[in-house]
Amino acid sequence: MSRNVDFNKFLVFDGAMGTMLQACGMKAGELSERYNIEKPEVIEKIHRAYIDAGADVITTNTFGANRYKLNDTGLNLNDVITRAVEVATKAAKDKLVALDVGPLGQLMEPYGSLSFEEAYEAFKEQVLAGALAGADIIIIETMSDIYEAKAAILAARENSNLPIICTMTFQEDGRTLTGTDPLTMVNILQNLGIAALGINCSLGPKEMMPLVHEVLKYSRIPVIVQPNAGLPKMAGSETIFEITPEMFAAYGRQMAEAGVRILGGCCGTTPEHIRELKNALIGLKPVKTHIERITAASSSTCTVTLGGEVKIIGERINPTGKKKLKEALMKDDMDYILREAVDQKDNGAHILDVNVGIPEMDEETVMVRAIKEIQGIVNLPLQIDSVKPKVIEAGVRVCNGRPIINSVNGEDKVMETIFPIVKKYGCLVVALTLDDGGIPKTAEERLKIAEKIIKRAGEYGIPKEDIIVDCLVLTASAQQKEVKETIRAVRLVKEKLGVMTTLGVSNVSFGLPARSLLNRTFLAAALSAGLDAPIMNPMDADMRDTVRAFNVLWNHDKDSKEYINAYADSKAKPENNDNKTNKDLKKIIIDGLKEEVKETVREFLKEFKALEIVDNYLIPALDIVGEKYEKGEIFLPQLILSAETVKNAFEVIKEDIMKNSSHDRAINKGNIVIATVKGDIHDIGKNIAKILLENYGFQVYDLGKDVPTEKIVGKVKEVKAPLVGLSALMTTTVQSMEETIKALKLHCPDCVVMAGGAVLNENYANMIGADFYVKDARDSVKVAEMVINGVKKN
Amino acid sequence: MNIDRKEVLRYLGYKNQSIDEVMEKLIDEAMIEIKEIMRRNYVYNIYDIENQSEKVILKNTNIIFQSKSLGEHLHNSDRCALMAATLGIEVDKRIQYYSRINLTKAIVMDACATAAIEALCDKVQEDMREMAQREGYNITSRYSPGYGDLSITNQKVIIEVLRAYTRIGLSVNNNYVMIPRKSVTALIGFQRGEENIVKCKCSRCEEKNCMYRKCGVANESEC
Repeated sequence: MSRNVDFNKFLVFDGAMGTMLQACGMKAGELSERYNIEKPEVIEKIHRAYIDAGADVITTNTFGANRYKLNDTGLNLNDVITRAVEVATKAAKDKLVALDVGPLGQLMEPYGSLSFEEAYEAFKEQVLAGALAGADIIIIETMSDIYEAKAAILAARENSNLPIICTMTFQEDGRTLTGTDPLTMVNILQNLGIAALGINCSLGPKEMMPLVHEVLKYSRIPVIVQPNAGLPKMAGSETIFEITPEMFAAYGRQMAEAGVRILGGCCGTTPEHIRELKNALIGLKPVKTHIERITAASSSTCTVTLGGEVKIIGERINPTGKKKLKEALMKDDMDYILREAVDQKDNGAHILDVNVGIPEMDEETVMVRAIKEIQGIVNLPLQIDSVKPKVIEAGVRVCNGRPIINSVNGEDKVMETIFPIVKKYGCLVVALTLDDGGIPKTAEERLKIAEKIIKRAGEYGIPKEDIIVDCLVLTASAQQKEVKETIRAVRLVKEKLGVMTTLGVSNVSFGLPARSLLNRTFLAAALSAGLDAPIMNPMDADMRDTVRAFNVLWNHDKDSKEYINAYADSKAKPENNDNKTNKDLKKIIIDGLKEEVKETVREFLKEFKALEIVDNYLIPALDIVGEKYEKGEIFLPQLILSAETVKNAFEVIKEDIMKNSSHDRAINKGNIVIATVKGDIHDIGKNIAKILLENYGFQVYDLGKDVPTEKIVGKVKEVKAPLVGLSALMTTTVQSMEETIKALKLHCPDCVVMAGGAVLNENYANMIGADFYVKDARDSVKVAEMVINGVKKN
Repeated sequence: MNIDRKEVLRYLGYKNQSIDEVMEKLIDEAMIEIKEIMRRNYVYNIYDIENQSEKVILKNTNIIFQSKSLGEHLHNSDRCALMAATLGIEVDKRIQYYSRINLTKAIVMDACATAAIEALCDKVQEDMREMAQREGYNITSRYSPGYGDLSITNQKVIIEVLRAYTRIGLSVNNNYVMIPRKSVTALIGFQRGEENIVKCKCSRCEEKNCMYRKCGVANESEC
């Protein structure tokens, strides 16, 4: 049975295990966890030394005891953890035992191969074994990736009742190796239901000090610090740490005086460091710190704090009334959604609302996919927007950061389902001031609902700073009288409740002409009433201008810096008035003028049919470029620039075809599925092939990189693709390619496979069963033309 | 540390084609951007070795590299350094970002990053040389898993023994692909005799038709 842990008192953790094991003769390259099974007496001796030195908590020797690191070692994970906890418990006697959970040693998606769900499963195993064996605390430590930390915390919470401590490790530049800063760490972790959070490893106490202060400034939960004994230095072939136990203890005392509650040591620290540290805390009482309570959403690397400068929540990822986005969602075309995300970011959005609800699709699956894709490309916090609680929960679970939930309202049933999700995943939530009776007419009634929501949230342990009130915008065309009630409501809510506010501004103009004019006027009024974060289209220049101007007039944009930046040379810039469109479309493509091409194609569309342009200009130009490339007259980036130019041309042409659906003949020569195989993350070659194949009119289904065989087979079946392109860069991943080809031949015998990648050649490709070897992207086009135009394979 | 523009062009398959202003600018911008976002980091450690020609044993560890070609490379060495270096994950992120919105730039950035990681390794090697020379040694050139018959699986061994994941954020997946992508693991021998530096590492590669090849049959003069 685990014992209660009192986090209101100082707790002293032990110091390094690895350092001590090396001193006991562990060789480089040896797995320390093996000692739990083979030499438990050594581990016990080290634990005892720390207990004797005065540690209140000792940490099990299980830092790397996970399925990825124990793979191929012959060790059983359960045995390693159980034995470790047993040995520690034996040494600890009345002191506490913390189950040590270190990083899995693999980078997570989308850059690495490890998915959030796989990480969760791996941590779950550790937690179950450790809790069963009788650990008192779970310490998730030395995390560089906050996404991994989140997976570990969820696994610990959902599979044990033990208090959880989580530490991350920072570099000298003040960020973790994956880019998380201290504020972002605190904002995400402290809301995930853990007992304490902090910093460990990598740095010595001196280098850690400024980071510790930053953490203390925001953390509402106890803070733990476990520094190294200084920065590691090389002395010959030895790594040494230079901070003596006395110095270490002095820093420890300073940290405790600043408000740190839990102290211990990491690499290079010994029982002597812990003894001195313990002594240094004698006579000191835990210090209460002044905490800044903020309303802030985070991505993994950036935190957006509401209040002060206006924060824009981008509304464009929402299929309501957007035909193209709907179509993209149906076709699983994430590129379109990513472009919306990037465009909004480039136009000043601080947070992105994500709504993917269309009746034809499984919203939960699409939401998870969209979030993973967006957060891989854009580092803005997200607002998860759905009417289905299940979709919201799935979304916030995989969200890398601290998201906002959109939304809850004053209906009891809705609060009962949404608040537990808000609490569990530590989110912010938008509170709509409506209830069973609909949207109240007056500002006072809306204030009442806001009060009710905040009170009820409090019962779930959700503080009011985690609630963003939306007083709801009504349309001037239908409910003209109530439009100004919204403005009054914002002012009232701000004054009486002191919470942050949001509004979906552009609703106001629905059904009226010159919408932008109404939007920006209403926006200005709402901002001066106290609107903190409008939900709006960041690409709407009028509204963006209003926000910028407001930030100057309300003294948020200090010295009008951003304003000047945006507008100082707006007069000086001569408009491109020489408006003579370059008529030579082929040359534009060959020269790779990818911005100009759109206008030129639009001009051409006035004279020619869409397909004439494709057949007479785009394809011939591409052929010329291709030949030039083959002859060595241009090199790779020039080829790609031309390909991107054609891609832009196609976009204009597709828009035209969509508008005039009389052209029934869409441009699709045939479906091709392409992927970088399982285990491989190199996708530049595949991306080049994709763009060229698309240029030549093929419908390409790009499954991305590190794609499991089943997924490739499934897609080929689904879209009845006659051709698959596989890419692998490494000798080790060519094996995955071979397995994929085998599965394809078994399940889709009619499908032709072309294979490419650095380590492949003709023979090798044939050996693993590919029908065609393609040496580069140009080659893949030739194969595609041959296969899809009916020429049988060789 | 500078990124060598000539190297960038080589990784892009450049063979003296004419480059217009737009492309020049793109390459310049990409070089600057990579320099801004990379977080160069490396770790190394030095070991005494026992060279048994079929295998190289690191003394006082339980690490053994089964490789004849490595044995040859280190045939005069009695010590060797293991090193791991990376440009950090932000480079992967940025290249991924551009590959969705500006593929040309993604490709140029990728080449810049390749040139940058090589330059970083050269710098580490330079440090290593100085250190070796202080102790009366010379060094060999870098030898990485995947060269000759030194299995690529040794990437994992080097990363683990140097604790490269926690120290510099370098990991290797189950297929021995290193992440961040722009990373290198290598061995460098310390030897008493003459320095043993292969001038051009392409010379020992079997891939004679490689587009990146610097030396050999095609254009020996460049080496």
